[in-house]
Amino acid sequence: MSLIQLQGISRVYGSGKTAVHALRSADLRIEKGTFVAIYGASGSGKSTMLNMLGLLDEPTAGSYWLEGRNVANLSDKERSYIRCRKVGIIFQSFNLFPHFSILENVCMPMRFAGLERKEMLARAAELLDRLGLGSRLKHSPSQLSGGQCQRVAIARALANNPAVILGDEPTGNLDEKTGDEMIGIFHELVAEGRTVVMVTHNAEYEKEVQRVIELHDGTVVRQ
Amino acid sequence: MSLMYNLESTWLSLKHHAFRSLLAMLGVVLGVAAVVGMLAVSEGAKRESINRIQQQGVDNIILHSEKPRINESGGEAIFFYGISKNDIAHFNSVFENVKTVVPIVEIRHKSIYVNGRPSDVILAGTTPEFLTVSRSQNADPRGRWLVDTDCILSEMVCSVGVDAARQLFGLEDPLGKTVSVGGTTFKVVGLLKNPLRSKLAGKNDINNMVFVDYETLLSIFNRDFMAVEANYVYVQVENLDYLKNTAGRIRTYLSEVHELPDYTISVPYELLLAEQATQRVFTIVMGSIAAISLLVGGIGIMNIMLANIYERTKEIGTLRALGAPKQTILVQFLFEAVTLTALGGLIGVGIGFLIAVLIKHAAAMPTIVTPGSVIVALTVSILTGIIFGTHPAWKAASLSPIEALRR
Repeated sequence: MSLIQLQGISRVYGSGKTAVHALRSADLRIEKGTFVAIYGASGSGKSTMLNMLGLLDEPTAGSYWLEGRNVANLSDKERSYIRCRKVGIIFQSFNLFPHFSILENVCMPMRFAGLERKEMLARAAELLDRLGLGSRLKHSPSQLSGGQCQRVAIARALANNPAVILGDEPTGNLDEKTGDEMIGIFHELVAEGRTVVMVTHNAEYEKEVQRVIELHDGTVVRQ
Repeated sequence: MSLMYNLESTWLSLKHHAFRSLLAMLGVVLGVAAVVGMLAVSEGAKRESINRIQQQGVDNIILHSEKPRINESGGEAIFFYGISKNDIAHFNSVFENVKTVVPIVEIRHKSIYVNGRPSDVILAGTTPEFLTVSRSQNADPRGRWLVDTDCILSEMVCSVGVDAARQLFGLEDPLGKTVSVGGTTFKVVGLLKNPLRSKLAGKNDINNMVFVDYETLLSIFNRDFMAVEANYVYVQVENLDYLKNTAGRIRTYLSEVHELPDYTISVPYELLLAEQATQRVFTIVMGSIAAISLLVGGIGIMNIMLANIYERTKEIGTLRALGAPKQTILVQFLFEAVTLTALGGLIGVGIGFLIAVLIKHAAAMPTIVTPGSVIVALTVSILTGIIFGTHPAWKAASLSPIEALRR
């Protein structure tokens, strides 16, 4: 059984003549422990695909099986529950909470999962330490460089020990060298048995990943 | 979601927008301050007037003898007027619901002499029931108040009010001393004290008077000196429920028996009811002002919450992406709104309290901040937060995560 299986997933925004078909009946399987890049030009539907995988958006049609369970068309509460525990999301612009310390930032998903405060702080510190930020736990995001911020975001994505890490252009705001570091971290995560799905429009990363899914105009053209 | 998280995120948001939050709160602050301050003033005025009325005894009907004006009598000179002994006998024997009838007659144009020195203390004659009807006490355990045998034996004794005693005798012990009025001497057998510092029919301070037996006084200073048989009559009723009825019957009786309007009737209980009715109107007016100011305050809160949400859309999207359900967002922003109004309410209560103290000292008006008004003010501010915070919070919670993240 695949970790992720999409069957005939489509997403239409609007209706009638102005309807936009962001995804057209996409079928996709992603196995556990693979590093996947979703590649495509802008407007190709790769962000919509990532939103689907992250349960941020609901498909117009089709089914989405995550760890053997159909998670398409669940209630908001159930989708939030799964998003919190099964999926870790990393954004292009980091999306850290500027008024909280990086330790608190990493704690955030664990709060939603209802962890004990002590447990939460210990795990957050451990994750940040692992990503080389162990000495800066009390710093606020504005005191850190872009690369460091993205490490915090990765730690935050890992907080609830999710099955899938989703990256929305995670290297887009970083210089080449820092971007490569991030890819290195993703490789480590994959080696641990995690699944990493990364949206990118940078063809250079094709060589780095195990699998490339290419989208064009809402259709999967290569997988 | 934990309370801790909500407290923390609210604190950070308030800290980040300290000035803006303060401005938003201002409406609630001023509204609550005005309400608390004004209620304190009204409460003070109410207590004072109720006190004044209660001093006269709520279960009393008070009759005053009034000298009719010449034109009312058709130019005829008037020598005798007012409530008569016949009237008093009638009240006692005919009316139900009458517990006691206490006449008071004052000697007005004769000074009380002590050791040959005159004073302006007033001598009055009354019956033993006066003590209870006027809510007075026998102040000195060695002495006594007037008793029925004083009347039967025509004892030349008196009881002196505590303030009158100080004026007449200074630091000396008044018991056993004598006072003289118009050549008649009375022996002081007791001291009288009125703890409410009541004024007799609202005029003379009971503590500053000298009392002798009613019949005795009337027989000594007969009609040669006195135009009235009673300056005041206190009619104490058995049952307050029928007080109005009894007062009505007294009115009817007096209007039939007295040709001229040589009396007035005051019913402290009716004054009390009228006072309470006035208070109700005042409370309604206050309530309306409070409602309007809190409405304005609430709109201010709603405004800033909408601005906050607009500004923090991306943050809301991120929270949702990290697994926060709608409910968490809803509670977070509602909590923030309620914190703003509750804080505004607290500051408002503080300022209202200061206003009350200021008015008390600057305007010399009694003000009382009741716990009730504080509780109401705080409850209403919290309710304002809930009412005006719900729409923005709901709006925040209803944002689609992808829409929110796109910002």
